[in-house]
Amino acid sequence: MTPLDILVAAINGTPAPRIPVFCNLLDQGARELGMPQQQYYSRGEHVAEGQLRMNRRFGHDNVWSLFYVGKEAEFFGCEKILYAEDGSPNVGDFVIKTWEDIAKLQVPDDITTHPAWAETAKCLNILREEVGSSRPICAYLTASTSLPALLMGMDKWMELLMSGPADLRDHLLAKCAEFYQKEVAAYRAAGANVLVYSSPFGTVYFVGRNRFDSLAMPWMKRDLAPGGVGNIVYYCGMAPFNAVIPDVMNELNIAIHYVSPLDNLAEAKSIINARLLQHDGKGLTCGVIDDIKLIHWTREETRAEVKRICEIGKPGGHFLFGTGVMPMAIPEASIHDMLEAAFEFGTLP
Amino acid sequence: MLERIIKAYNEAVFETDKEAAFEVINEAMAQGLTAEDVVFKVVIPAVEEMMADITRNPDANLAQHFMTAQIAAEVTERMLEKFKHPPEIIGRVVIGTAAGDLHSLGKRIVMGCLKALMVEVVDLGVNVPAEKFVDEAVAHDAQVIAVSAMMVHTATGENGCRKVREILCQRGLEEKIKIVVGGAPYRFDEALYKSVGADGWAADGITASRMIIGLIRVVKDGGGP
Repeated sequence: MTPLDILVAAINGTPAPRIPVFCNLLDQGARELGMPQQQYYSRGEHVAEGQLRMNRRFGHDNVWSLFYVGKEAEFFGCEKILYAEDGSPNVGDFVIKTWEDIAKLQVPDDITTHPAWAETAKCLNILREEVGSSRPICAYLTASTSLPALLMGMDKWMELLMSGPADLRDHLLAKCAEFYQKEVAAYRAAGANVLVYSSPFGTVYFVGRNRFDSLAMPWMKRDLAPGGVGNIVYYCGMAPFNAVIPDVMNELNIAIHYVSPLDNLAEAKSIINARLLQHDGKGLTCGVIDDIKLIHWTREETRAEVKRICEIGKPGGHFLFGTGVMPMAIPEASIHDMLEAAFEFGTLP
Repeated sequence: MLERIIKAYNEAVFETDKEAAFEVINEAMAQGLTAEDVVFKVVIPAVEEMMADITRNPDANLAQHFMTAQIAAEVTERMLEKFKHPPEIIGRVVIGTAAGDLHSLGKRIVMGCLKALMVEVVDLGVNVPAEKFVDEAVAHDAQVIAVSAMMVHTATGENGCRKVREILCQRGLEEKIKIVVGGAPYRFDEALYKSVGADGWAADGITASRMIIGLIRVVKDGGGP
């Protein structure tokens, strides 16, 4: 079975030799190609090559079409990205500086003709050609309720969300929802088949139950309605979200959840598996390792944690082992140790 | 009367309703409550209560945390202008996000709590070089440098807290200025703060503020552990 077959088997709950093993290596690609990050991220060919080489080196199942999270802000005019040689690029200048800027914000008519898409498209073309039939190709899409944080900063967005004028907030959210809808269509057309829907504001951890129900949920429905939830993975930027899994499964119909390491994995698994029947028996709990600790963990500590996660996740099937966005400070040997353990403890009878 | 005001204010803060919180305060002042009473008997206990609630209430959330701190800071700032005598300031902190980091939510939560607790705060903004943290701490006679970092490389890299520690060490300032850190990476790995040379970290605004006040006292008492 190919890694893609293994992923599909895990979602469907059909037999497979092992669980899927995802490892999210992004910025390490620049190191792999021996070039500065700014140069690496300037070309889709570089990112694709970095992904393919790391995939060959480490043997994990997935590849990424994501450059860096702040790339979505470039579609709205962000021209300044802060590059670092030891970590992820970061939005260096917010396009919304005052509330007046919200009215001027333009969603591109066709994002596939926007310069910010061009390199992503090249990357996806290469990945699809090289591994599209055998490996999951991941894309990262920010939910409308979370995208404003990239456009104006988290605190300014929180202020507008919590105490600003509702019409202005909704005007911004409508633009972000429109962008999401166009973006997800573009990624699907270009061959991405694991669509990570990043929705930190779609948690009661961020906004509380009242605002989750009255604000986050309606906007998530609006994001997802036109394109549907096929291949969508619910992810909250590593924030805990077990409390909303039933809502997300019942109301959004999303059955694949990338669970926070701060959440109780056994609880998440039980919530998800209890609702599989509503989803034609399809669904997936992604057990995520707290990869920041891999920076200093010993081989034994790493193996013990991978074993713990797999032992919780494997019974009952519908399980994937995954990482967060692996920090560059993690030693290469620890990545090998983690993946070796994941393949070993993730073997299925 | 005070009990009713406290209850109404706490409810407004819990609902993150800034407007309602200010209405309660205005009404309290109209009924004769002093600015000092507003800060010390209403605002500070509310901050303490809300932050304590975060650990015991499963529905307490980041937005509440943020709004509580902002409302508290704003009310306190307005009330300070009306104080009969300037309040005793506990100490001074310079705060900013680490070099390369523009995430300012955590910084603002801590700033709000500190201001409400009578700690003077010098906000250095975002993407602050290590040298600037130290220079400004010296210039403002601050007892604590607070470095916020939301990304692993800005939390653990050579240009963040580690470099602040290095400069303090080079200039012989380690007994006079303490360092605290905050941000998501420290939450995911609670041992991380030590490895970057910080004197402490905290997961939320009020715990951070209490810890900072403790460190201010350590410095004022001579700087020893």
